[in-house]
Amino acid sequence: MVNMTTEAAVISTKGLNLYYGDNHALQDINISFERNRVTALIGPSGCGKSTLIRCFNRMNDLVDNVRVQGQILFDGEDIASPRTDVVEIRKRIGMVFQKPNPFPKSVYENVAYGPRVHGIKDKKILDQIVEKSLKDAALWDEVKDRLHASALGLSGGQQQRLCIARTLAVEPEVILMDEPCSSLDPIATTKIEDLIEELKKRYTVIIVTHNMQQAARSSDYTGFMYLGKLIEFGETCQIFEAPGERLTENYVTGRFG
Amino acid sequence: MHNWNESLIRGLWFFTASFAVLSVFFIIFFLLKDAVPLFQTVSVQDFIFGNTWNPTGATPSYGVFPLIVDTLLVTLGAMVIAVPLGLGSAVYLSELAPSKVKAVAKPAIELLAGIPSVVYGFFGLIVLTDWLRVAFDVPSGESWLAGSILLGVMALPTIISVSEDALNMVPQMFREGSLALGSTHWQTISRVLIPSALSGITAAVILGMGRVIGETMAVIMVCGNAAIIPEPITNVLSPVRTLTGTLGIEMGEVAVGSLHYSALFAVAVVLLVITLIVNLSAVWILKHIRSKQSAEVPKRHFISPNNEWFWPAVRAVLAVLIVLAVFFLFPPLPAAVLMVFLAALIYAKDRISPNISQKIAFVLLRGAIAVVLCVLGIILLYIIVNGLPALSWEFLTQPPRDLGRAGGIFPAIVGTLYLVAGAISFALPIGIGAAIYLSEYTRGSSRITGIIRTGIDLLNGMPSIVFGLFGFAFLVIFLNFGVSLLAGMITLGLMVLPTIIRTTEESLKSVPTSVREGSLALGSTKWQTIRRVVLPPALPGILTGTILSIGRAAGETAPILFTAAVFSKRFLPTSVYEPVMALPYHLFILATNVPGATKNQYGTALVLLILVVAIYAVAIWIRNRYQKNVRW
Ligand SMILES: Nc1ncnc2c1ncn2[C@@H]1O[C@H](COP(=O)(O)OP(=O)(O)OP(=O)(O)O)[C@@H](O)[C@H]1O
Ligand SMILES: [Mg+2]
Repeated sequence: MVNMTTEAAVISTKGLNLYYGDNHALQDINISFERNRVTALIGPSGCGKSTLIRCFNRMNDLVDNVRVQGQILFDGEDIASPRTDVVEIRKRIGMVFQKPNPFPKSVYENVAYGPRVHGIKDKKILDQIVEKSLKDAALWDEVKDRLHASALGLSGGQQQRLCIARTLAVEPEVILMDEPCSSLDPIATTKIEDLIEELKKRYTVIIVTHNMQQAARSSDYTGFMYLGKLIEFGETCQIFEAPGERLTENYVTGRFG
Repeated sequence: MHNWNESLIRGLWFFTASFAVLSVFFIIFFLLKDAVPLFQTVSVQDFIFGNTWNPTGATPSYGVFPLIVDTLLVTLGAMVIAVPLGLGSAVYLSELAPSKVKAVAKPAIELLAGIPSVVYGFFGLIVLTDWLRVAFDVPSGESWLAGSILLGVMALPTIISVSEDALNMVPQMFREGSLALGSTHWQTISRVLIPSALSGITAAVILGMGRVIGETMAVIMVCGNAAIIPEPITNVLSPVRTLTGTLGIEMGEVAVGSLHYSALFAVAVVLLVITLIVNLSAVWILKHIRSKQSAEVPKRHFISPNNEWFWPAVRAVLAVLIVLAVFFLFPPLPAAVLMVFLAALIYAKDRISPNISQKIAFVLLRGAIAVVLCVLGIILLYIIVNGLPALSWEFLTQPPRDLGRAGGIFPAIVGTLYLVAGAISFALPIGIGAAIYLSEYTRGSSRITGIIRTGIDLLNGMPSIVFGLFGFAFLVIFLNFGVSLLAGMITLGLMVLPTIIRTTEESLKSVPTSVREGSLALGSTKWQTIRRVVLPPALPGILTGTILSIGRAAGETAPILFTAAVFSKRFLPTSVYEPVMALPYHLFILATNVPGATKNQYGTALVLLILVVAIYAVAIWIRNRYQKNVRW
């Protein structure tokens, strides 16, 4: 295990446990995510990757019967506590979901939604934000002539980049991505990966993926989870080339059974 | 291989499905046939735009304009009350309600839908109009306002349950997507969920409107029934008379074949046209909204809504209109106060923080559901508390004496049961057959299924009093059944037919195709597949639909008003050609025509309420039980 100084860590957990009813879905997770780095979370289906990142923006609050124990420190503040302002947290920690989920509104309205709800009314400023976010999400050229057409008319890959643009428009500090490429074809996937490369210059990115190559290519750190536990965490090249644990090795080499 | 059996069965279902269409044609034909003679004497223009409705005067006049205006006013008022309360409650139930509250509130609201309209009317007559009389210090509370309040309450269950369904259908991922951007729960609701559910919510409002326009009994009992346009037009305390009310009041006393008789059928045609316009506009609005949300790139608009000046201009026009309306509607002082309040609200709206506006919004939503539940509680409590002392063994088993002031309601109970049993045994085979045809034997949109579906939709949208008129013209007069049990059964049966078809079709459709394919792949025929693997899991749904229809048939008054019901009859009917007593009709007459029958009024209302609510409760129970068990 690599021990990072807490200074560089944006988000870190201490003894994080989560239960869905009786199902102990996260067991004593201790992990840190470094600023301006991409961290990948890998592991077999059902091991708790989504559950873990959904703790960071408190999306699990929407699920009935969840119980969380332990600490999640974000900039030194415990965001697992019931007193946390979840809305504020979600402004600062954005999320891109597995399936693209644009609102049934126009492309423009999708991107302007976040800034609008956070109180920006000036049309000129909104225009600027929309254009900049779409450019940052590498989507501008494809949609600049159809900004006011429905977002549901975009292709899957375009929709996913729109969701990224929508997240960028809020200017979060951290971006959580839950298998953002799983419903996309290889070309669209490449575009998103290039995008992630760009994003890490300004954002901290945490990405869940089932795609080993993707994890190996685009992340700086990798965490391997299994049955609700964090088995191993380290620099990506170390995890893939010299894993410390048997389980990790089996998983990354595809000999998993 | 040709299988005669299979084609025979198919033919049978096709026949039942066609029945719905044929009955629509029949109804329209008979209404028109009896309406036409009026126009040999009165011009269409004088009829529609004539300012006086006075068919029994020395010089009869047949101007239906005040009736149309009154109908629209009552509907408008009802919607002003029902839409905010209904939407607020729906949003609360789908977004905020803890599951325990939901478990109580949802069935309660469905029960609200089950209360027969004559019971609402009775409550309105005894309680509501009295409150209004005292509160506004007027000689009589029977007024536009009373009608609108009562009809608003009656429209609530429809609006709430349909829009709650629409909200629940919004995919969870929209909710998550919005919350993940750091918007508050209320921002998510108001900016993402409600716009996404808009088509369903619109449908809810229009369905509620349909219910209001078609209602007869409650309207007759609380509106005062003066065929005048309120003076001034904003005088909500003026008595009014709707199209349905006119039919309900005058049809019973008119000489068959007279000019007045024709005029009433012409009124029914106008009513039908209005309901048709409402239904068609619903279809049109839904289509429009869908196409706006759909994936197509929209055409370039001449006036693009994205122009710099477009929305400010719209807003300015709206603001001017609102100011004018307020000053027109209210005396100067309250108007000024209201304006200041509105201005403050607009000023504050953009300046208060999202958290505070969320708090305010949630308080309002909770208020809406609280009001709805309170209204339900008050109506039920009032009738139960006052009705219980009247209940006794004698009351349930004796015929009425002294015009219903004394004695019991035994013949009315039995009459209602006869009517309902007859109606269901008439409607059930036809309804289920039609549904099987539509769901299993048609694929998508052939011309014929299109016609059948339209027919069923039209039948569904028809006001119950129109069924009553048709039953009278066709069954009672044309077929010479006379006012009889048989005529009432068929009329009620026609009325519940669309409900049975719809619920059956829905539950058949909820059986997944893979199950059918599985059975067909084993070499069973179509009908074997339907009978053995499609119908059994659909049974609870069909049962629920049937029970709801029974409840509806038991509580309806308007269709039996002129076809089957008599007020007093000591003996039970011995053949289907005899008229019967019926609970809702009995209550209606006791409440409106028999002074001094207070105790038995409450007793009758309570018995009717218990009967219908029990039927609904069974239906809701069956549905909830199976919804939990069956998940494909
Ligand atoms: N809403 C929920 N309610 C109850 N249990 C849940 C819920 N969501 C997830 N779980 C359970 O928690 C465990 C972890 O699920 P999670 O979705 O986090 O896995 P994952 O690693 O993201 O899997 P995948 O790779 O398939 O997305 C699983 O056992 C799952 O059944
Ligand atoms: Mg997952």
